[in-house]
Amino acid sequence: MIKHNVYISPDKVLVDGKALTHNEKGSALLTELYRNNVSDYPKFFKMDTLSKLGFVASELLLNAEGNRDFEPREDRAVIFFNKHASLQADTHYQSTIQDPEHFFPSPAAFVYTLPNIVTGEIAIRNKYFGETSFIVVEDYDEKIIERNLKNSFQDPMTKSIIGGWLDCLDEEHFEAKIFLLYKD
Amino acid sequence: MDELIYKLKQEIIEALNLEDMKPEDIDENASLFGEGLGLDSIDALELIVLMEKNYGIKLKDPAQGKEIFKSVTVMADFIQKNRTK
Repeated sequence: MIKHNVYISPDKVLVDGKALTHNEKGSALLTELYRNNVSDYPKFFKMDTLSKLGFVASELLLNAEGNRDFEPREDRAVIFFNKHASLQADTHYQSTIQDPEHFFPSPAAFVYTLPNIVTGEIAIRNKYFGETSFIVVEDYDEKIIERNLKNSFQDPMTKSIIGGWLDCLDEEHFEAKIFLLYKD
Repeated sequence: MDELIYKLKQEIIEALNLEDMKPEDIDENASLFGEGLGLDSIDALELIVLMEKNYGIKLKDPAQGKEIFKSVTVMADFIQKNRTK
């Protein structure tokens, strides 16, 4: 059963279907959402756009759920799906090693060159010790998402999942369609 | 030296994405790691890259960073003595 959902695109934010007012667009929108709804996690500014998107989307989702105590728990999983993996972070990192004359690999850029980093960011923030997975698929497909999340509930430890679609091509093209799903 | 300390603070803010922070907010004698700015191990690696990129200093032993990154003042002093650009 889906209890809450969040949708974020470069110019639209919905929490449980209700639009959130905002002034910014693109990645600046994610920073605006962070400042207005989180503001106590400066590591946000070090993240790549995919992680910023997942982080603020999960914060809006968990704020909608309420009763946030940040106590360690093993019964909640974080499972996302997308098409472009961590392409933006990969491209950014590549730019730091492109020129043999100016070869300065950036460790801070490198650490985001995997899409599942965002699931770890969310798990660390909320002290979740359950499953974290990021599945890269060809295109958005509700059936694939549903099937995979259903399978994850076969783990008797998992009682709820922060899951859904989390895709980012660049700072102007991204989409989060995530939800909080409870075991029936 | 004061000029280098100020420039270094600006470079640290930019390299480590310390959003909302101004050079004036960084105490040049405070510890960069732990209690001070609260930087992590990835930030330490990024500082090593910063020193090579901006000042031509290549640390032979990454463990040297423990001493060099004690504070902005210590870092600036090391840069002044070892810079090649």
